[in-house]
Amino acid sequence: MRQIAAVVLIGAVVSASCSPSQSPAPAASTTPAADGTVEEGKQLSALAPANIAKARPKAPFDVTGNWFIDVSQNPEAWRFGPPYPKLTPAAQVHWDAAKKYTAEGKVYRDDIGQCWPAGLPLIMTRYWPMAMVQIPTAIYMISGFMNSVRIVYLDGRKHTDADIIVRTYNGESIGTWEGDTLVVDTIGFRGDHHWMDQGGVAIPAGEQLHIVERFKMVGNQLEIEYTMTDPEHWDGDWKSTKRFNRVIDEDIQEVSCLPDLNEHLQSTTSKTQVLK
Amino acid sequence: MKSVLFGAVAVALACAVPVLAHHSPAAFDRSKEVKLVGTVKDFRWQNPHTWIEVLVPDEKGKEVLWGVELTSPTYLIRAGWKSNTIKPGDKVTVVVNPVRSGEPAGIFRSLTLADGRVLTERPARLGTPDSK
Repeated sequence: MRQIAAVVLIGAVVSASCSPSQSPAPAASTTPAADGTVEEGKQLSALAPANIAKARPKAPFDVTGNWFIDVSQNPEAWRFGPPYPKLTPAAQVHWDAAKKYTAEGKVYRDDIGQCWPAGLPLIMTRYWPMAMVQIPTAIYMISGFMNSVRIVYLDGRKHTDADIIVRTYNGESIGTWEGDTLVVDTIGFRGDHHWMDQGGVAIPAGEQLHIVERFKMVGNQLEIEYTMTDPEHWDGDWKSTKRFNRVIDEDIQEVSCLPDLNEHLQSTTSKTQVLK
Repeated sequence: MKSVLFGAVAVALACAVPVLAHHSPAAFDRSKEVKLVGTVKDFRWQNPHTWIEVLVPDEKGKEVLWGVELTSPTYLIRAGWKSNTIKPGDKVTVVVNPVRSGEPAGIFRSLTLADGRVLTERPARLGTPDSK
């Protein structure tokens, strides 16, 4: 059922017969490409029936659900600092500029407000729920914030070759199970208009950003421990642990940053904005 | 409603309310409130933000168009709002935290309808540590 839900969620057209309980899947990666199927040895899609049907150990837990950052103890829990790591000169310039302009009552480089994607890690902690659907080969995440899509692959694939990877704001996430923990490794980020914080704190996220997330279930909460490195912008590991609550009475909705949005939100276009 | 009630009132807010916004909340001066008494020009019920445009007479009687940003319908519904709670032409009083630049815009605090009903927003928070 969750496989079907995932298919519906991403709008893919896949026959319901993909369920391994309904019909045996064909053997993977053995058919030549001439008939439109996958070349031998080529990575199958996470939604390919043959990939879903492969024998795998049962996942220790299932994150399928809507999740919302736990701000019950701290309304600022969506931020990944303080504490903040020691910044490099390349990042310190932006940190200092944000402090200066904030003191002047201005807003420095608020690219999310200008409709650029929040990107990882901030996309995980926006004040909108994150819908997650887990199948054996992947976790599909869709944020209630601008419907940003993030896919964590669980099917054993490796990261895409650096020569061909298409850099994105949520990056490329590969998950592996270590005991009762899901370890998600993410690289391949875009390094422009991508920030680690918002609202008076400006730390850029660069192309060298590397995020390791350790997902655990703690009681009814989802805990994610973040370890983030970006030698272009800070020294060493930047660590932060977040807890998420299940949202059982609200679904995500269609949300877009449409051209007329900021036109009617004067704060995003006012003289307070420092865009460059 | 003919009289103009228009002015910045410095108010020490008891506590800061997290802003549910796609943009930085730093543009707003949360230490000030402005009471707008005017007429609704437009009310857009949409994601990620609902917004109201209110025509407010200034000290000289000239109408100034104020933009008011609200949270998403998800939270407004929980606070008793509907898509037709207000419509163009309605006389309203809206309290906002203004933008720091002095431009006629702010983020929503409360709405008083012509019949005296007062509407606010629900805090942007979903789920609890116990929900399962």
